[in-house]
Amino acid sequence: MTFQFSRPLQSSAAPAVVVNGLRRAYGDRIVIDNLDLRIERGEFVALLGESGCGKTTLLRALAGLDPIQGGRIAAPRRPAVVFQEHRLLPWDTLWRNVSLGLNLPDARGRAAAALAEVGLGDRLDDWPRNLSGGQAQRVALARALVQQPELLLLDEPFAALDALTRIRMHQLVRELVAKHRPGVLLVTHDVDEAIALADRILVMRDGRIAFEHRTDHTGKVARTDLLAELGVFATHALV
Amino acid sequence: MLAIGLSRANDREDRNRLSNLEQTAATIALARPDDASRTRETRSNGKVLGNATLQALSWLIPVVIVVLWEALAQAGWLSPQVLPAPSKIVRTAIKLTTSGSLLNDLGVSLLRAMAGFAIGGSIGFVLGVLVGFSRLAEAVIDRSVQMIRAVPFLAVLPLVIVWLGVGEAEKIFLVALGVAFPIYINTTLGIRQVDPRLLELGRVQGLSTLQLIRRIILPGALPSILTGIRYALATAWLALVVAETIGAQSGIGFLAMDAREFLRTDVIVLTIVIYALIGVAADTIARWLERRLLAWHPNYGAAR
Repeated sequence: MTFQFSRPLQSSAAPAVVVNGLRRAYGDRIVIDNLDLRIERGEFVALLGESGCGKTTLLRALAGLDPIQGGRIAAPRRPAVVFQEHRLLPWDTLWRNVSLGLNLPDARGRAAAALAEVGLGDRLDDWPRNLSGGQAQRVALARALVQQPELLLLDEPFAALDALTRIRMHQLVRELVAKHRPGVLLVTHDVDEAIALADRILVMRDGRIAFEHRTDHTGKVARTDLLAELGVFATHALV
Repeated sequence: MLAIGLSRANDREDRNRLSNLEQTAATIALARPDDASRTRETRSNGKVLGNATLQALSWLIPVVIVVLWEALAQAGWLSPQVLPAPSKIVRTAIKLTTSGSLLNDLGVSLLRAMAGFAIGGSIGFVLGVLVGFSRLAEAVIDRSVQMIRAVPFLAVLPLVIVWLGVGEAEKIFLVALGVAFPIYINTTLGIRQVDPRLLELGRVQGLSTLQLIRRIILPGALPSILTGIRYALATAWLALVVAETIGAQSGIGFLAMDAREFLRTDVIVLTIVIYALIGVAADTIARWLERRLLAWHPNYGAAR
């Protein structure tokens, strides 16, 4: 395994992550084959694909959660991850949750600032069980951003939210990414979400990146193309 | 596990919503007192009977039984040899307390229980932590522990008496033996049941092994460990009753056996009542611990 977190690079043009020839297999079954990927700092990349195409596998490999069978992942620092479930510790207050693993002075102050950014600055000592689904996911976002990551991995973090909450979360994520400028990889199955958020959209198929599209966030043309790439030739699609 | 957590959360929301509905119904009922059907509806869901009333109601049957018992004894329908009146038992308690022997025996019994609990609990906890964390420790330890556990711990009493005689060691050993297993099993189980997704989160957040244990594994295992403690308290008490009934020179059990020799039914009943009271006290302490330590848990405490 050649996964490594090298020293932070000083140049602002430094990439958030560079992947070369990545190979990931479960036994004999190859899930990711010879994949290359580069995400710049401040760049928002969405990764689309059908279930089982290997997009979550790629994210987990980037997060360092699974061993890889070949290739090289170079990231300047440990990436932060927001999962589909909030994964808050039910026995810790919100600020303790946000500062989990934060080995810096004034953890509470930093957690308070991060919670304020996601609109929960007055709930420092509250418990996770008193939160709605959207609020919990906002805390998870604060927990990821308080680490000041250079790479932020989002694994379908909005999938379990209702439509209105999801739209609010999109706005919040856009603002926070613009402010902190990490490189972002968003794994999603929602084409419209990808168009709304990403600078660049990748479609993954058979363990490779099969299609790449730079968006202008209007999505007029992209939507049909992307759906076609995903094998959906919608005759009744919204325009 | 998370699915359960989620459905619990949903239940909570549903309950909140329900209580809102109830409040609305109550408001409407207040606003329109002539609407009889609505008033009845509010009453039927038990909100009219407050918690204090229900609390008082739960004492109704015990109080009636004691009053009835006293009345039957006073009327001479109950022989004092069979079952002395409650008032007689209270007088016996006061007499034995002022003469000093009761408090002494009580202290001796509590000391035995605490010593046995501390020893057995520590052994059970350490073994439980080892087996919970390590497959190797499980392979080495678990089968032996389970085999010993299959023996009802009171069945080894004759053997323990042969080994240790009928002194303090025998009694403390028996309590420790009874306590170790529930603590062991629940500690192991608690550690094994920690949500693997939270462990994964710990790794993502860069926690060290020690931080992982302190921040995620032990808090996650705590509800199960406390359940073990509650079971263990009950077992400790049971073990002590048996141990003290055989060849004790002091303690509550000795008091009971001594009273039997002289057919002092009042003293015997008093010792039974004392065992019951201490059992209740132990359970109250365990519950208080749960409320304090599990304040975050939707099924326990009431922390806000």
